[in-house]
Amino acid sequence: MGMLDLSNVSFSYNGDPAIDNLCLSVESGEFIGLIGANGSGKSTILKLAAGTLRPGAGEITLWGKAIHHYRDRDRAKLVSYLPQMLDVHVPFRVNELVRMGLYPYDIPPDLTPDEAVATVGLADKGDSLIGELSGGERRRAFLAMTLLQGAGILLLDEPLANLDIRFQIELMRLLKDLRHQKHISIVMALHDINLAFQFDKVYVVKEGRIITEGRPLETITRDLLREAFDVDVMIYHHENGTVSFGFERMEDKNGLR
Amino acid sequence: MKKQTLWMIIGSVCLAVLSLCVGPKWINPLQMDEVSRQILLSIRLPRVILSLLMGGALGASGAVLQGILRNPLADPYILGISSGAALLAALGLLLGSTAFGFFTIPVFAFVGAVLTGIAVGAMGYRRGGLWPERLLLAGVGVGFLFSSLLMLMMSLSSDEGMRRAILWIFGDLAMADWSLIPYGFVLILIGLILSLWRAKGLNALMLGDDIAHSLGFNPGRERWILFLAVGLMTAASVSMGGVVGFIGLLVPHIIRFVVGSDNRVLIPLSVVAGGALLCTADTIGRTAVAPMELPSGIITAVLGAPYFLYLLKQKDILGES
Repeated sequence: MGMLDLSNVSFSYNGDPAIDNLCLSVESGEFIGLIGANGSGKSTILKLAAGTLRPGAGEITLWGKAIHHYRDRDRAKLVSYLPQMLDVHVPFRVNELVRMGLYPYDIPPDLTPDEAVATVGLADKGDSLIGELSGGERRRAFLAMTLLQGAGILLLDEPLANLDIRFQIELMRLLKDLRHQKHISIVMALHDINLAFQFDKVYVVKEGRIITEGRPLETITRDLLREAFDVDVMIYHHENGTVSFGFERMEDKNGLR
Repeated sequence: MKKQTLWMIIGSVCLAVLSLCVGPKWINPLQMDEVSRQILLSIRLPRVILSLLMGGALGASGAVLQGILRNPLADPYILGISSGAALLAALGLLLGSTAFGFFTIPVFAFVGAVLTGIAVGAMGYRRGGLWPERLLLAGVGVGFLFSSLLMLMMSLSSDEGMRRAILWIFGDLAMADWSLIPYGFVLILIGLILSLWRAKGLNALMLGDDIAHSLGFNPGRERWILFLAVGLMTAASVSMGGVVGFIGLLVPHIIRFVVGSDNRVLIPLSVVAGGALLCTADTIGRTAVAPMELPSGIITAVLGAPYFLYLLKQKDILGES
C-alpha cells in the first residue's frame, strides 16, 4: 500500500469514458511523471488523485483511507494539486496568494510564506500583483502557495508550461531537492518528453489507460513513443548519461526541406 | 490596522453623526429643545441607522458576489433579487394593499426577493453545485423578465401609484421607522456573519474551483453559503428602502483600490464605506431641495461614480501595465 493508491479506477465525462480501469501507486518521496499525448487523460488522473473528481468505479485511497472520507481541510494537509490553467486576473498580490497555502491550518507548518516565496525565486516580487507577472512567474507564485500548503503529495499538472528552459531546469531541480529534503512525493503531468528522464518512475498514458510504467531509461523507447504519441522519434543515449530525441527533418508539400 | 482603514472608520462615524444634525432644520445635539429631540430620535436616527444598514449590506453583498461569480461587474441586483423584490413591492404599492399594515411593502419586497433568490439558485444549480456562469445568466434573465413586468404594470397604473413606485425603486428611505430596523438588522447581521465566516473560502474560490478544493474547501458548499448570505442581505436591504444602485457594484472596487482584495478586510470595509456613502447620499437627498426629496440611488451614483472613475484612471488593480 502506498501513500496514494488508485485501484481499478474508471471515470467518464457525461458518459464519455476518460479513464479506464487505471491503477497507480505513489510511495513516499517518489518523483513520478505522467506522460502522454494531449487529451490522453493525464489531467483527469491528477484530478481524481486530488479528490476533485469522484471515480465512477474503483477506489482512491490516501494513507489507506478512501480520499472522499477525509474532511476537506484534513485532505488538504496531505495532498495538494496545482492545475494547468491558472487565472491571469486573480486580483491578489504575490504575498497574499502565497499565504493562502496556510488556509488548511490553525497552526502553520514549518515553512514560512517568505521562505516559500524565496524558494521559487520571487523574493523581490512579493508585493506585485499576480496580473503584473509573466506567465512563468505567475506559475512559480502559485507553486509557492502549494509548497506552503505543506502536503506530503504534490500533484502538478504541466507545471513547466510557460517556463523558459532555465526555469524548467531550476524548477525540476527544486522539486527534486524538496523530494529529498522533505520526503515529498511529486506526481507531475508532462507532455514534453525531454525532461521525462528526470523522474524516478514514469506512467505512460494513452486513451485513459496506462500502457506502461517503470524507470524512464528502460521504459521510454522508440516503439513506446510511436504507440503513445503516434510519431516516430529517435532516442540517443549519450556516454555522459544524457538522452536526446531527434526526428526527421520535415518536408513541405513540394518535397523541400 | 492600516492607517487608511482607521481613517475610513473615523470618517464614516463623523459622517453619520453629521447626518443626524443636517436636514431642513439644523439640530445641535448638545442644545436640543423637545421638537428637535423628537425629530432626532423619531425621524433622523432611524433613517441614519437604516441607511448605514442598507449601504453596509449592499457593499458587503457586492464584494461577496463579485468573488463568487468571479466577475467584477456583478452587483447584488445582477441575480435578479432586486427585480423580484421590486416587482412584488410595486404590486403591493399599486394595488394599495394593506394586508400587513405598515409592513405591507417590506413584506411584499422580502417575499419577492426570497422567491427570486430560490428560483435563480435552482437554475444555477447543476451536478451538485452552483455554477457561476449559470447563476449569472439565470439572474440576468430573471431580472429582465421581472423588470419588464414591472414596467408593464407601471405603464398601466395611475399617476400617484406610479410616482410612489418609481421613488421606491430608486431607493426611498423616507419610510424609515424604528419598527423596520430590528428585522433588517438581524437578517443583515446573519448575512454578514456568514460572509465573514466564509471569507477565506471566498478568497480561495477567486483562484478557481480546483485550487479552492486543493486548499481544503468544498467550492459548491462555499458558494451556497455565500449565495445565501448575499440573498439575505440584499432581500433585507431592498425590502427596507428599495433599490439603491451603485453601492454594491462600485464600493467594493473602491475599497479594493485602497486595501487590496483579501475578503477578510474587503467585506468589513465595504460595509463601512457602503454605509457611509448611503448615509451621506440620503442626507443630501432630503436636504438639497427640501421639502422635496431626491432618491438616494441617484445621489450615490452622482457622488461615487466620479471618484471611482478617478481611482480607475490612477490605480492599476489587475496589473495591466
